[in-house]
Amino acid sequence: MKRILPLFLLAGLVLAGCSKSAETSGGGSAKKLTIALLPKSKGNAYFVSVRDGAQRAAQDLGVDLIFDGPTDTDPAKQNELVDNWTTLGVDVIAAACENKEGISTALRNAQSKGIKVITYDADAQTDARTFFVNQATPDGIGHALMDEAARLCAKSGQYAIITSTLTAANQNEWKKYIAERAADYPDMKLVAVRPCDDQKDKAQSEATALLSTYPDLKLIMAICSPGVPGAAEAVKQAGKAGKVKVMGLGLPNENKLYVHNGVTDSIILWNTEDLGYLTVQAAVALAKGTLKPGDTTFTAGKLGTFEIKGDNILLGKPFIFNKGNIDQFNF
Amino acid sequence: MSAAPAAAPRWKAILFRHETLLLLVLVAEWFYFDAVGARFATLDNTFEIVRHHVEIGLLALVMTPVILTGGIDLSVGSLLGLCAILFGKFWRDAGLSPLEAGACTIVVGALAGGLNAALITELRLPPLIVTLGTYSLFRGLAEAITHGSDTFTGFPSSFLALGQGHWLGLPAQTPVFVVVALGVWLLVHRTTFGRGFRAIGFAPEGARYAGIPVERRLALAYVLTGMVAAVAAIIYTARLGQARADAGTGYELYAITAVVLGGTSIFGGVGSVHGTLLGLAAIAVLDDGLVHARLPREAAGVLTGVLLLLALTGSVAPKLWAARSKRRPAPPAATPPSPPLPTP
Repeated sequence: MKRILPLFLLAGLVLAGCSKSAETSGGGSAKKLTIALLPKSKGNAYFVSVRDGAQRAAQDLGVDLIFDGPTDTDPAKQNELVDNWTTLGVDVIAAACENKEGISTALRNAQSKGIKVITYDADAQTDARTFFVNQATPDGIGHALMDEAARLCAKSGQYAIITSTLTAANQNEWKKYIAERAADYPDMKLVAVRPCDDQKDKAQSEATALLSTYPDLKLIMAICSPGVPGAAEAVKQAGKAGKVKVMGLGLPNENKLYVHNGVTDSIILWNTEDLGYLTVQAAVALAKGTLKPGDTTFTAGKLGTFEIKGDNILLGKPFIFNKGNIDQFNF
Repeated sequence: MSAAPAAAPRWKAILFRHETLLLLVLVAEWFYFDAVGARFATLDNTFEIVRHHVEIGLLALVMTPVILTGGIDLSVGSLLGLCAILFGKFWRDAGLSPLEAGACTIVVGALAGGLNAALITELRLPPLIVTLGTYSLFRGLAEAITHGSDTFTGFPSSFLALGQGHWLGLPAQTPVFVVVALGVWLLVHRTTFGRGFRAIGFAPEGARYAGIPVERRLALAYVLTGMVAAVAAIIYTARLGQARADAGTGYELYAITAVVLGGTSIFGGVGSVHGTLLGLAAIAVLDDGLVHARLPREAAGVLTGVLLLLALTGSVAPKLWAARSKRRPAPPAATPPSPPLPTP
């Protein structure tokens, strides 16, 4: 026995170390609501900023927040976490779904055990959750893009659009609403729509071609995320920074450099921290019964009132990242 | 399976067995998570643990004979992915019933295992290299067939019940696991095949001279692995309700960890199937318990590593101390723990 004793002591130490951290993180959870927030992947900077917003909401409301998600690419991990939370008996599960069909099974099972389920960022099948916190509607995105483009051009001039492919459903949906809003700006003239196949270098060569074909071009709008830095690189290399404006849909980090160099003017996306904040607010309200199916508005603490369309809680207007605020975001 | 000196009392021999120590660790884990975590030691949760680890468990079970022969199979996780999407193809695109599609998938698994076996026995290539190659090949094929984006879903609920339903109150996949576990245990511990595996792992040339058909035994181990990986793929698909090319990513390492934690020497020759089951349980309980203790998931990796290193240290430490206390020079570190000679 003497020989084995040190090993047991060591194992005991390891376990004791764990128990301490468990007490501090899970302590005092007697009657507090517990909200489990599932990201698509845990290390992704996008979801890290969602978590920051979610933690603020959890603090404001005095609830326990569990934020955990896959750290590798195994698609089964999201399901396993949901199953674990189901047996753990959390009050609400809020999930961003990597695999719509796959995870819906686990979410439905959670619902059958009396756990409330909502989704955010990426929806599950509609019968597997009560609400979807929808971060961006196509009309919201399309209108915001066009409004910002018109603002940058002082409402008049030629502009071109770079899309991912000419057939992509989401891109065409957005283009439809861009066109709808463009009717409000009669002096804005769309001269070309070019595909970039979701590749930055293709976007760059397309943008270069646009610059030489249309010498009076005032703005390039890229509506797929690799398109924005691609177009910016082309404008920069052509020495037309400032003369031809670049804007579009994208992630702040990919575009920070160009925004600071004065090549790209605006990046449009949603505020991910607000997404996390709204999700936790909605989760808690659902658990407390203050948010019910059929409601048409929802008031989320400091963020104010949000519209509910059917079973979608709308985050509302997209967020515009520019030189003034882009450094506050890291994703 | 550490062989105790004949002079030591019997209780000591049992206590210092690797399996006994592992069982103690498992019990400690269980009580710890029950004390710290909420609703951990419930029947519901125990069944969830079983449900989540059947696929990895199946892979670990058939990995045991492979490692006993001194080999390794790194391709099982990738093969699970390939079989999952082929199962989806057979069902959706070829219009087969889930039962027929499952049978075809198991044939594919056997062929894939046969490919490993052929390269290892005919070309005499090291299993590590061969299966590293098929590890990329199988995953690559799965991605190529689906173009990385096709997902198979919408399976009939009668099929999904295999992964999500219950059978006599138990998770529906439990009987499959029990049957495979019993089969592999009997194969390894109660047949001449099993002794053959150990003999090959202990000394391949010696085994050949002893009249063991080394090539055929090796082929059996790898083909069996391929077939069971296909079974695991079918259960995985039923559990998630979908098949994608990234199914089972990283499962090969989980399976190998369970086998080695269970006391099977990576050099071959020594080990047991019940050890593998205990190793698997230790990992599974850790993985699940952390969520119930509300510890971050990343901790599972760290603690599994610590557990594995402790187990390995625990299995060699008594020998080293014994050697030292007799004031003899310690044996060279590279020597694998010597197994009892296989008796014919």
